[in-house]
Amino acid sequence: MSPAIGSCATPIPAKAGIGLRFPHHQAVLDMRPDVAWMEVHTENYMGGGTALRYLDAIRRDVPISLHGVGLSLGSAEGLDPAHLQRIKAVAERIEPGLMSEHIAWSVIDRNYLADLLPLPMTEEALDVVCRHVDQMQSFLNRRILVENPSTYITFRHSTIPEWEFMAAVAARTGCGILCDVNNIYVSSQNHGWDASTYLASLPPAAIGEMHLAGHAVRQLADGRTLRIDDHGSSVIPEVWALYQEALARFGPVPTLIEWDNNIPPLETLLGEARRAASFIAVAEHEAEHADAA
Amino acid sequence: MPTLLEVQRAMCTSIVEHDPATIVDDLADGIGPDRLDIYRNTIFFGLTRALRLAFPAVERLVGAEFFEGAADIFIREHLPRAAYLDQYGGEFPEFLRRFPPAAGVPYLGDVAELEWAVNRALHAPDVKPLELKELAEVGPDNQGDVGFQPHPSVSLIRTEHLADDIWRAVLAGDDQALAAVDLGAGPVFLLVERAKGDVEVSRMQGTEWRFLNALCRGDSMLSAMDSAHGLDAASLLAQHLSANRFVGFRRQDGERGLSISEFKQ
Repeated sequence: MSPAIGSCATPIPAKAGIGLRFPHHQAVLDMRPDVAWMEVHTENYMGGGTALRYLDAIRRDVPISLHGVGLSLGSAEGLDPAHLQRIKAVAERIEPGLMSEHIAWSVIDRNYLADLLPLPMTEEALDVVCRHVDQMQSFLNRRILVENPSTYITFRHSTIPEWEFMAAVAARTGCGILCDVNNIYVSSQNHGWDASTYLASLPPAAIGEMHLAGHAVRQLADGRTLRIDDHGSSVIPEVWALYQEALARFGPVPTLIEWDNNIPPLETLLGEARRAASFIAVAEHEAEHADAA
Repeated sequence: MPTLLEVQRAMCTSIVEHDPATIVDDLADGIGPDRLDIYRNTIFFGLTRALRLAFPAVERLVGAEFFEGAADIFIREHLPRAAYLDQYGGEFPEFLRRFPPAAGVPYLGDVAELEWAVNRALHAPDVKPLELKELAEVGPDNQGDVGFQPHPSVSLIRTEHLADDIWRAVLAGDDQALAAVDLGAGPVFLLVERAKGDVEVSRMQGTEWRFLNALCRGDSMLSAMDSAHGLDAASLLAQHLSANRFVGFRRQDGERGLSISEFKQ
């Protein structure tokens, strides 16, 4: 059996990290910021040239997590083997400490709709996702994490609450869960769910990473408010509160600040990461107390 | 109950055609179909951004509004075939050439073709170049049968207008230089490649371009030399090798024209 991809990689510590985006490549190399780990979108490093050169240089100092946005684990038609191969090639080059994908779909009739589209929460969709998580894990010969989506619509024929769907994927495939706290908040507000119930339904042992980000609020024509996961601003107080609730339940977990639109100066991102780190420190303290007691 | 495949096809149609009719019956009560616009906006915004990154000079030539309008039509007709957007937009130059509203800018397709080659060079994988000493194992008698594999960053394009001059003037924001371009001059023969990390666009003499084009197509040395009348083919080949333009070679059986070994890398 071939060695697991990333088996010699530096593991991602249970600390705060930042999403690394192109505008910060040079600043990160110049400043060497004190940040425990970084995450990149796998699809941005599938070619060669400048982008890969920066990542090669940065990863000498910082453990890297690969976060995929294009494999489309929820596609009814199956995974694109060429894309799976591209992911594997990036992983072999970057030796990531973690690899993750989304509970979503984006490919139909081999066309790539460049977004994370929502799945109906049905037994059929659960089977499809689990089959593809199995396929991805065995192709890469490593465990992956799957992220809960943020959604704006729900389907008439859905039968499984999303939190049960997430837990079932982890239970059936042995994969971990990337718990995006902002997504739980956004979807709960959009669909009238209880975010605390969502968190309480996820298996703590499966949580391998958390995400935090900002979102936008929009007024719809029918007068209702919709929260949109645009990763374009700072984390709001309600999401920080939910994050503390998650830490209390899951214990210290690697936590990432994501920012993809209106990208601010690197220092702003680091400030958000320091805030997450302070909450992780509290969770560490509480975990030690619990052990001592 | 619709199958997952049916739901995904219906959603795709409703998003791409901007018409909620196909999916509206599958949505839960109280979910207005205008919520699909959020997905459509994200997809079209993201794909337009990918095109904008690959075709910055085209956007400056036609303006942001025109570019977005053209991109919207292009995206509907050419959804990406892979979740790898650095490779998205290869059909855009041809689309612009046939796009009636762009007919007033006759060199637009040429500039787009050059920008696509530049984009390819930017994102091409890193591949170890072929070294001269690797060729030494081919005996002198068989060297004419060798065919080469070009570095993936290399493109050879021929444009009717002076696409390189226009492209440089537009990106530099140099209106004077742009006005000075002779639209009657041309064609130009261009080599686009990533050399030492930076993308370079250079103009070639027609015969030399045809020779390199034949080599990059995989033609054997002998057959490439047919297009190289009056050229010192051996010294040109040495230049191309030392500029890292090839990554592998293949020996062909001259008599039967069959490949006797796979590309060596």
